[in-house]
Amino acid sequence: MNEERAKRWDNTKLSIRVFLANRTALVGLIIVLIYVADALIMQFDPGLLGITQVNTLVPNFTNPVPLPPSWAHPFGTTFPGVDLYTSILKAIRIDLFYSILVVAVGAVAGAVIGVVSATVGGLLDETVMRITDIFFSIPYLILALAIGFILGRSLMYMSLALALVWWPLYARYTRSQTLSTKEFTYVEAAKASGVSRTRIMFRHILPNALPPVFIQISLDLGSIMVIFSTLAFIGFIANAKVPELGYLTSLGLNYVQTAPWAVIFPGVAITVFALAVNLLGDGLRDVIDPRRRS
Amino acid sequence: MNLWAYTIRRLLLLIPTLLGLTLIVFILSHVSGNNVILAEYLSPKLTGAARAIATQALIARFHLNQPIYVQYFYWLNAILHGNWGYTNTAIYSGPVTTAIALFLPNTLMLSVVAAILIWIIGVRFGVYSAVNRDSVSDHALRVGSFTLYAMPIYLIGVALIIVLGVYLKVLPISGVVSPTMVSGLSWYVNGISYPTHIIIIDAMLHGAWGVALNAAIHLLLPAITLALAIVAGLIRILRSSMLEVLDQDYIRLARSKGLSERIVYNLHARKNALLPVITLFGLTVAGLLGGAVVVETIFNYPGIGYWTTQALLDSDVGGIMAATLLFGLILVVANLLVDLIYAFVDPRIRY
Amino acid sequence: MEYTLNVSNLKEQFYTRRGIYKALNGVDILLRKGEILGIAGESGCGKTTLGLTIIGLLPRNAVVTDGEILLDGKDLIATLREFASKEANNPNLRHSENIMKKLNKQLINVRGSRISMVFQDPMTSLNPVLRIGYQIAETLMVHQPEVLAKRRLARSKVKDDDLREALKLLENGADEQSIKAFAETRQLEGIEEQLLNIWRRNDLGIARKEKMILSLRSERLGGFDMAVLQRVVSQGRIDGWMRIPGLNRMSKAVLIKEGNTKAVELLSSLEIPNPEEVVKMYPHELSGGMRQRIIIAIALANNPELVIMDEPTSALDVTVQAQILDLLKHLKQRFNTSFILISHDLSVLAEVCDRIGIMYAGRIVEVATVDAIFNKPLHPYTTMLISAVPTIKGGEIQGIGGAVPDMRFPPSGCMFHPRCPYVMDKCRENNPQMKYVEDEHLVACYLYEGQKGEQN
Repeated sequence: MNEERAKRWDNTKLSIRVFLANRTALVGLIIVLIYVADALIMQFDPGLLGITQVNTLVPNFTNPVPLPPSWAHPFGTTFPGVDLYTSILKAIRIDLFYSILVVAVGAVAGAVIGVVSATVGGLLDETVMRITDIFFSIPYLILALAIGFILGRSLMYMSLALALVWWPLYARYTRSQTLSTKEFTYVEAAKASGVSRTRIMFRHILPNALPPVFIQISLDLGSIMVIFSTLAFIGFIANAKVPELGYLTSLGLNYVQTAPWAVIFPGVAITVFALAVNLLGDGLRDVIDPRRRS
Repeated sequence: MNLWAYTIRRLLLLIPTLLGLTLIVFILSHVSGNNVILAEYLSPKLTGAARAIATQALIARFHLNQPIYVQYFYWLNAILHGNWGYTNTAIYSGPVTTAIALFLPNTLMLSVVAAILIWIIGVRFGVYSAVNRDSVSDHALRVGSFTLYAMPIYLIGVALIIVLGVYLKVLPISGVVSPTMVSGLSWYVNGISYPTHIIIIDAMLHGAWGVALNAAIHLLLPAITLALAIVAGLIRILRSSMLEVLDQDYIRLARSKGLSERIVYNLHARKNALLPVITLFGLTVAGLLGGAVVVETIFNYPGIGYWTTQALLDSDVGGIMAATLLFGLILVVANLLVDLIYAFVDPRIRY
Repeated sequence: MEYTLNVSNLKEQFYTRRGIYKALNGVDILLRKGEILGIAGESGCGKTTLGLTIIGLLPRNAVVTDGEILLDGKDLIATLREFASKEANNPNLRHSENIMKKLNKQLINVRGSRISMVFQDPMTSLNPVLRIGYQIAETLMVHQPEVLAKRRLARSKVKDDDLREALKLLENGADEQSIKAFAETRQLEGIEEQLLNIWRRNDLGIARKEKMILSLRSERLGGFDMAVLQRVVSQGRIDGWMRIPGLNRMSKAVLIKEGNTKAVELLSSLEIPNPEEVVKMYPHELSGGMRQRIIIAIALANNPELVIMDEPTSALDVTVQAQILDLLKHLKQRFNTSFILISHDLSVLAEVCDRIGIMYAGRIVEVATVDAIFNKPLHPYTTMLISAVPTIKGGEIQGIGGAVPDMRFPPSGCMFHPRCPYVMDKCRENNPQMKYVEDEHLVACYLYEGQKGEQN
């Protein structure tokens, strides 16, 4: 028993070592934490960073043309006279919140449907798979655009539309994870020793099938934020004052020849986050995948 | 075993998918009531009493006062007969089918050029990166593709505009052709070229090589943007797929036969490494189509995507629904082709 | 005595995150021409590593720290030793990978033509997307394109009269020499092996064979094909304009086509039924036993001096295993090739080998003829290994106590001492050298110190 424990500890140590050896993953983790910290500050005490009016952009119509970075405006301003630095800090909260909303709604719905589908099997499973097929037959960006358009052009509906587009992916993934876990010998062994079906499901299958699903889901946060901002960029949001990174970028688009910073800073803010999440994900996958450990 | 039998089976599987696709679009048109389908099918040019009469005619035609599954049947019938309703946007107002005929060729042109770029760049760099793993160039490629992968497509476009269009001034950043090149041409009227509506091809048909070249240069930035947005994923997938294949026993056997590294990489490994990439090509097409919406908007490139965003901004439900259906159809056909190509390339699939 | 292969004091380590594994710790092998040497040992003793090292196919975290591998007197792994002498303590993976690539380049003309290898798992060793015929033809094309070219040219030149005459010779029981002489006098070099291969086929009736020989004469060659074949014959390889992209592919296609016909002959000589169909198939259409025969065919395609077989039968079921072993015995008689047969299964080795080497913890601890190993084993480990083999007569099977040592921290002295029932003090401190106890019987153990005393 002692040996067993030592072996497990050895494994954990190796996992940590593998993760720490991946410097880039560590950097990714730190960046993600910075974004989360910013969102939390904006939520609970924006005054800490000298920001008021967290939910709206503050235009300055006396000087609407973008100004280059300066002491007063570290990232410059964008049309119409909006300070980019404070706007980006505000926007990160909004983007992070709605991206998490998309992931949470889409993933929970998808995971539940996937598990049920894999467990019940038969006609239900077949139907669910056909429905996901149909969702996959439309490019996600366009489907989200159409659904969102019908629901109404607001941030909330936009994230709802994305969740509606995303759940089939998670349903598929969860289903395949559950099915492959079902095949494992220890599940067979539990079955052979007469453990009840529900017990097998909750005690043996789900605890082993779900963790990789959740990791996958959280790693999609970066991509979702990118797509969320892309929808906003192409003009999904009707409200002209919402601090959202894609929308902020689109404000500067007409000035790209004279004021490149107006599109670069908000764009980079998104990219850095997505990059950090991906790096973190790669590090975690290294830890999970036994083949990549040696 | 037989490729024909497989093809026919795959074609039959298309029917439920197409029914599902149309059903989604139909449901979307109906969740907020009958007025949506009326908005789709009422010609924007009608006013007053004529409009009221046309509305009654539409209610009768689509059986809008009957249960919804009956309506679906009549709507599907109209779609199959090429009646896709009307669109009313700032860039085009009229029947959807005409809008598609005008805009789709440009989108296809853009997507095909981007796809070729993606294939050439992706395969070359993906294989190179795996073969020279951990070298300086591999690290550079990985950092590059990782960053591209995380970038929103609009940022890639804007970055290219700033570098190539604004600072270096080597490429035009908007439109399909310089207006001065085409003023007064008989085959180019009101921003529409005839007969194919793809200006490069039309210019060549009319022997206007200068115009064709100009249009080709205009196509470069959108195509490169679209390609860069998607190629990063291909490079990453191909690199890991290639590394996995290089660990396989058959590669060891190939080496033990005394084959040169080049043959081992470019024939034995690459052929296998590309198989998973082909299955992902459906996703690539989805990415291309979605990307086209953004790229066409940034570069004012008159394709389906540009039309779609215009429809969004102008709250034109007819345009949105038609574009959704059209993009769905393209993707379904693309997936069909991918499956057939895969069956053709991988001998194990033809069971 | 002539030796095909001479391995001496081969030492090799693997660098991993968990530590440095000392995989080979001074392996010595002398392999005679035409001999089958068996290598036996528990899993993890370094058998496979040894085979892979001889053919130079190592992962990049492997470092050869010492030793030589001489093939007909020529050292194969000088490059690896050189690398080890520079970066022995902390090898850079990137550098190591470059070294492996350099080695691959150096060994291109050795692998597949002079040394070839058969791997353990036939299910995964053939390329799934290439046809069987191509996979055989490829190795022929790379190593002896001129043979393929001659065969094809001969078929285009041969006349019906020549074929009828050759058939008469064969029917009168002409031997290989006289057929060869016949081909030479008619300037039809390359036809003789086709005649003989058809004539020797066991799967066809005599009438069918006669018909095949008489229809050897083929349609005239096209201008491009002719140019390619003639240039290959005169240059002995694909070069010059044949390397221009595009032309290269077309030139190779000509040779591959001929390689396919030779592959058919090769497969029929390995008793594979329907070889004409098999060359057109993909690996997944064949059974495991069939695939292993294909791999053996690939290994033998260029008549190499040495074939290393790494557990060639372990992944196969018992009846197929027996067939493959029969095939090996048959090959031993027909080709003048030396074999190293690696297996954990002593009964497999007993069946086909001339001599057996027993391997433990990265060293060969005993080498002797099959008889001597089974009837007069000397090393305590060999004794235990043999008593662990189940026999049909029954009797108690003796397991070997203890486990294979952790090769990151190998035991001091003789590596078997922690498990050895006869362990002495000096076993813990010094590693015994291989010594001749009798002619043909080498052992590394202090129990036999001074019995004959002469070092190898």
